[in-house]
Amino acid sequence: MKREHALLVLYLAAVIVTTVVHDPLSLGAGLVGLLLLAGRKAARLLARCLRVILVFNLAVSLGYLVLAHVHGFSPWETLLLINLRVLVLTLMSFLFIARVNLFRALDFSPTLTWLLGLAYSQALGFQRVHADFRLALSSRSIVRPGLRDRYRSSAAAAAWFMDKALATARESAHALRARGFFGD
Amino acid sequence: MHLPDGFLSPQTYLPAYALCAGLWWLGLRRLKAQLDVDTLPRLAVLTALAFVLMMLAMPLPGGSTVHAAGIALLAVNFGVWTAFLAISLVLAMQALLFGMGGITALAVNALAMGLMGSVAAWLAWHGLRSVSEVAALILAGWVSVALPALLIALILGIQPAIAHDAAGRPLFFPFDLSVTLPAVMIPHVLVGLGEGLLTWLGTATLQRLQARHAA
Repeated sequence: MKREHALLVLYLAAVIVTTVVHDPLSLGAGLVGLLLLAGRKAARLLARCLRVILVFNLAVSLGYLVLAHVHGFSPWETLLLINLRVLVLTLMSFLFIARVNLFRALDFSPTLTWLLGLAYSQALGFQRVHADFRLALSSRSIVRPGLRDRYRSSAAAAAWFMDKALATARESAHALRARGFFGD
Repeated sequence: MHLPDGFLSPQTYLPAYALCAGLWWLGLRRLKAQLDVDTLPRLAVLTALAFVLMMLAMPLPGGSTVHAAGIALLAVNFGVWTAFLAISLVLAMQALLFGMGGITALAVNALAMGLMGSVAAWLAWHGLRSVSEVAALILAGWVSVALPALLIALILGIQPAIAHDAAGRPLFFPFDLSVTLPAVMIPHVLVGLGEGLLTWLGTATLQRLQARHAA
């Protein structure tokens, strides 16, 4: 078994274990272990995780605090468990993404690797263009763009992405045909 | 709309993965059966398109924004299986390559958004298109958001009942159906209207572009 395959299996097993353990101390120990594994990147990964989970977890936690106050029960043990588990799972995923080449981990299926590779490269390109569209709107506006301007900008961007997607699909098909991908 | 990591019990996400794995296998088998030089690149690029459509913000009065999903747009124009596989790939990419969403929620999100959203959109479009093409597309967009949201609200809302400790304290998502149904459904019923407009205008644009590319 290749290193990437082993790490993928290990990651998936660790995810399942994290969701069957309901002891905050054990999850806390897991969090410390993951931070040690992250090494010098630990602070940066932890900050990224907290940014990602903050809004949803804060909304759930505050809602549960209100519910506990209204019904007169202690919410702390539940909140600690839930938030700790989410943090451990998120950190584990970020660590996995940072350490493992997913394309090698999934290379047991050539079709899947090929699909994921092309989709990912296109998505990265589209993501960059999407950022350019946003910057273009703000750099060309003296005051904050109004609702109509933002609608028009989003609509123009969506139309551009559809046009580009159709053109890219045709170009990729031509490239595959030219390279004899289907033997024709 | 989609669920983040860590709020679903293994009693929920493991059966969801088992079901989804079967559907992914079936979808890929169908894809391979009709495999030609256009199939794979089209699926890959539509996946990237769905990914970027989910990033496009639809402005709301008051300064806030919601995000499009593009599920109905894909289902109506490219079929249910293509939409299901593309949305599943987007969710997998978001979870495993971009660190958004979550691995434990992936299968439930794929079943809700990718499968239920696509099937509902396709049925709504086919059922109503003979009456009014525009109304059919708007309804397809609306149901592609509203029905997955309902499924997600139901799945979240049953977590306290199926995963709790001996004292009855929830181990995963802590709110029951009386909270999740209104909290998830009310915004998504409204967001669905925007998705309906996107499906209508997006389909008109896509058909115009397809005609231009075919020429």
